[in-house]
Amino acid sequence: MKYELVSGLETHVELATNTKIFCSCTTEFGGDQNTHCCPICIGLPGTLPKLNQKVVDYAIMAGLATNCEISPISKMDRKNYCYPDLPKAYQISQYDMPLCKNGYIELSNGRKIGITRIHIEEDAGKLVHQRGNTYVDYNRGGVPLIEIVSEPDIRSVEEAREYVEKLQMIMRYIGVSDCKMQEGSLRCDVNISLRPVGQKEFGTRTEIKNMNSFTFMEKAMKYEISRQADLLDSGQPVVQETLRYIVEEDRTESMRGKEDANDYRYFREPDLVTIEVPAEKVEKFRAALPELPDPKRHRYIEQLGLPEPDANLLVKYRKVAEFFEAASDGVKNPKNVANCIIGQIFRRVENEAQKEAFEISIPPEYLRDLVLLLDSGKIKMNLLKSTLEKMLDSGKPASEFISENDLAGIDPDTLKTLCTQALEQNPNAVSDYLGGKEKALKSLLGHVMKNSRGRADAMEAEQLLIALIRS
Amino acid sequence: MSISRDDILQIATLAKLSVEESELPELTKDMAQMIAFADAINAVSTEASDFDNINGLVNVMREDVVEPSFSRDDILKNAESQDDGFFLVKKRS
Repeated sequence: MKYELVSGLETHVELATNTKIFCSCTTEFGGDQNTHCCPICIGLPGTLPKLNQKVVDYAIMAGLATNCEISPISKMDRKNYCYPDLPKAYQISQYDMPLCKNGYIELSNGRKIGITRIHIEEDAGKLVHQRGNTYVDYNRGGVPLIEIVSEPDIRSVEEAREYVEKLQMIMRYIGVSDCKMQEGSLRCDVNISLRPVGQKEFGTRTEIKNMNSFTFMEKAMKYEISRQADLLDSGQPVVQETLRYIVEEDRTESMRGKEDANDYRYFREPDLVTIEVPAEKVEKFRAALPELPDPKRHRYIEQLGLPEPDANLLVKYRKVAEFFEAASDGVKNPKNVANCIIGQIFRRVENEAQKEAFEISIPPEYLRDLVLLLDSGKIKMNLLKSTLEKMLDSGKPASEFISENDLAGIDPDTLKTLCTQALEQNPNAVSDYLGGKEKALKSLLGHVMKNSRGRADAMEAEQLLIALIRS
Repeated sequence: MSISRDDILQIATLAKLSVEESELPELTKDMAQMIAFADAINAVSTEASDFDNINGLVNVMREDVVEPSFSRDDILKNAESQDDGFFLVKKRS
């Protein structure tokens, strides 16, 4: 039978605050085990939590950036469960009054994935299971998280991936999290159920916990979809349960039966007072949000005239977009700046992390000054490209490499002389070209460019060469 | 509110307690009495705001400024069991 996927995601994002959610210990990643701890975050009796203002602020920003309503009143609750990663045997979270609700993320296919809620909570400690025992490190215990819960609106593995990528991009843009999946600062629980195509009612769902890479998330979803389809095809029920994905074997396995909300015995956290967010504060945050990736992409395409693939590449990382905007300020055709970044600068930033940081040797103003020389016709594209390479190597401005002589360009007579010389010195290339070898023209052009020290315009020179050969 | 045998088993599972079959009738009866006692609360108005703290405080928060954590020796001082700087949780048999 043909089935349709119904999927919703719970995405945990670690907030980039300096301190934990309820105490002043550092949130820095790593560190020797149990060295970022105090009596509050290891849950000693008699301690009192105190909420970090920044956590509330960041959660509000995250809510606004995902089109959520911000609750004027919310509170913290205790979620009780007994496991060594929680020293108090409860997690302080939010149950029925989350900070943000009713938002959405729009995908590139135009579908909107609803966001049910965003709430704040504390992260658990890290467990290492070894030699039959469990070793506990509470450095991560109490690190602030937001949990972003989506509606079951996702209908394909690709949509799930795009949804998470968009969340990641938005959270990075507004600066509330670095969203590094490999360090666990963004991780997803994926709910999956199938229903026959055309059926309205949802099927029984399972939940795959703690996906911390896009590749594994896609693989786990594909595996689980086919597992459920096989069960349904053979008339067996899908059991509602929590699963973990075993990477090495590409399969899911049951962790435990799914708890109901009842089992967590949620109740109001008596040690923390009500959180009130006045409307004026929400508006202040709304006004202070940076331009988000989607509107920025539209602006690049509509107003700056960039092709969509270019706009996508530039928008993906906030620092790249900032560099591009500074470098194209006042430039006639921003596409030239985009080409420099995508074609040349990106070759020097190899991985995602480097693009994210985008630490390159020249400030954007140097690139702008170089492109302005092109705009005013003082240099040609080929000189721009070679100069940019030198600038990137050295971190120096264009003026270090382009002499007054270069800026004067090359006059038509000189170009004609250079072309004629190239033809005379390379009779073989000329006959090759006449014999139909288009490539031979490139070697002739190479001579012209070399002898003009890069000042000749390649297009003009090429046309002139063809004209001279044919004359 | 009535309490069933299954409720008792479920609560025992959540509390990680093992319960003998022979204990079930007694526990079910006791639990039903305790719940009945707590039922008195249902007669009281339960607007969410009624559960706020008596001081009427809101938004008690701290600035996001790091202070030194405790030394690991102090953190582990009260641990029942530790190894190599970790809290050690022994596997239950």
